[in-house]
Amino acid sequence: MLEIDNLESRIGDSEILRGLSLSVKAGEVHAIMGPNGSGKSTLAQVIAGHEDYEVTGGTVTYNGHDLLDLAPEERAREGIFLGFQYPVEIPGVNNAYLLKAAVNAKRKHQGLGEVDAFEFLKLAREKMATLGMDPKFLNRGVNEGFSGGEKKRNEILQMAMLEPSLAILDETDSGLDIDALKAVAAGVNALRSPERAIILVTHYQRLLDYVEPDFVHVLSQGRIVRSGDKSLALELEEKGYEWVREAANA
Amino acid sequence: MKQASLSIDGLREVVRQLPANGLAPLREAALAHLDENGLPTLRDEDWKYTDLSPLIDISNRWLSAGGQQRPPALPADTIATITSSIDANWLVICNGTIDENSVAAVRRDGIEISRFSEAPSPFVKSKPLADLNAALLQDGLRIRVTGSIEKPVGILIVDRAGDSAAVAQSCVEIAVASGVSAEFIEYHASEGNADHYANTVLSIAVGDGADVKHVRIQNRSIRHVQTGRTSVALGRDARLRMASYDLGGSLIRNDIDIDLGEPGADVAFDGLYLAGDGQHIDNHTRVDHHVGPATSSQEYRGILNGNCRCVWNGKAIVHKGADGTDASQANHNLLLSDKAEIDTKPELEIYADEVKCSHGTTVGQLDETALFYLRTRGLDKRHAIQVLTHAFAADIVQRAPVAGVKDAITAIVEDRLAELIEADAAADLLS
Repeated sequence: MLEIDNLESRIGDSEILRGLSLSVKAGEVHAIMGPNGSGKSTLAQVIAGHEDYEVTGGTVTYNGHDLLDLAPEERAREGIFLGFQYPVEIPGVNNAYLLKAAVNAKRKHQGLGEVDAFEFLKLAREKMATLGMDPKFLNRGVNEGFSGGEKKRNEILQMAMLEPSLAILDETDSGLDIDALKAVAAGVNALRSPERAIILVTHYQRLLDYVEPDFVHVLSQGRIVRSGDKSLALELEEKGYEWVREAANA
Repeated sequence: MKQASLSIDGLREVVRQLPANGLAPLREAALAHLDENGLPTLRDEDWKYTDLSPLIDISNRWLSAGGQQRPPALPADTIATITSSIDANWLVICNGTIDENSVAAVRRDGIEISRFSEAPSPFVKSKPLADLNAALLQDGLRIRVTGSIEKPVGILIVDRAGDSAAVAQSCVEIAVASGVSAEFIEYHASEGNADHYANTVLSIAVGDGADVKHVRIQNRSIRHVQTGRTSVALGRDARLRMASYDLGGSLIRNDIDIDLGEPGADVAFDGLYLAGDGQHIDNHTRVDHHVGPATSSQEYRGILNGNCRCVWNGKAIVHKGADGTDASQANHNLLLSDKAEIDTKPELEIYADEVKCSHGTTVGQLDETALFYLRTRGLDKRHAIQVLTHAFAADIVQRAPVAGVKDAITAIVEDRLAELIEADAAADLLS
């Protein structure tokens, strides 16, 4: 589904990704771990199409097409979803409006008609109930005045409504209490299917207790320095990231 | 460049040709006062950002052509579009001429409507543009609300530009009796391609304990010029909620003066201005707190794109002894183009001891992070910009104090924002 080959990217004068390669197939869950500044969030932003990150080398193909050619909105409509590490507060834009506009943008791209307003609300309320979100959040400004946990649940709600083929969750577990973490994990697990792939960008192993990854990759200085199964995450938890840096420098 | 001057001789000619309806002495007095003072220039502090040359030019051309104030056929389609979208009892003034039929239709229990010419008031010295208004006024309307009324009173000031430059004056005095609640909608519209200058004077007297809601919508042709002065006085424990929406016009100048001379008065007024290429929209507000306790608050917001300029100057004067005053002012601007200019200035003058005053202004651009966030949810860039600009305006739209007018305002604000974003000037915004 996603093939990243020797990707290099920079923001301003600083090189961040330095020859990163990763292959993700449908049905797989990948965890990307690594110390702060290793390039985890940059990878997520580059896949989503952030224009501040300049791609200076390598390729990214998604379902056989050059992903880097597409605008962020085109990537979204093709089924890529980025859950933000810091979801943006947009006062004055109603949460329900954004959800509906997002769903309709994708449906239009797929040649489908606009979603029925009644069905949409019903579905949104159902998804909110499973995420432990009060339905009143639908009528609030997007993330406006939400707590950290509420913002992350809102990201998962958007993901659940959009049913992406490839979901990238950037530190969705950071700053969550145990209840919120469980709710978020349940939301992610509900999305797991043979047709979908999920990339979890995380600093800690904690989320992986609830969402079991098929592969774990360790990122350091802009490349993947080690890949393995879920036991690698446990090893990292035990040994910390220092040995990764040593491995990268070796 | 020196501002052209208004032809007073031409004005005198035209004033003398106006119908002799009891207002003649007032016109002469206003003309004399205007002649004495002249129109403001860029050297006047209150006018330093707004050059009146365009309206002086239109006025002089109109005066030299004889200053016709022929009542035109009403622009029926424009009127129907407006009156069908906003539920109100509408008074219509077209090219400065009061539509008699509308007056007859609005008169009912609880509303007294009369013309200035029926009982002329003595001349009161005023500002130059108000003098110009009084000098050229065919007739004015007095609206007095004395009891409960079912619907808002609509005042539709609509102008139809003909083949050559023209000028229109309108003047409306509103009074709401003690303890009465009333809603008003003031709507300015214009059509036609010739140059046109409209000058309006409005006063609102809110009686003791009265509760007034006033919405002003200015949606003139992008080619036309308007200046207007709104003077408001609140009685004891009176309450006023006001909101103003400026969408059209090439040169727009609004002056709002609010006089709080009785304790317990409470006024909140908001404004929204949307400006694109070639537009100049200037809002000057002034609140005089003479006594306390009294509350005034205002928030104006502007969205600017292309080669345009807006001005906001909000002045609050807390006079000696006005203890217990609570005054706040805010002005926030969203600039979508580096060719757009905003001159924003809050002014607080405080001569009392026990007061609570605050002010704040901001000038910003579109939030790139929010834009990216919306795009990652599948909204294209144009849609995302529309959503963000609309969100910026949304608070002021939602605060329209007359509930029945919100849908109409939402619709015209959405249309205007879409035009601003689509405009050539926004090409770089969408690239």
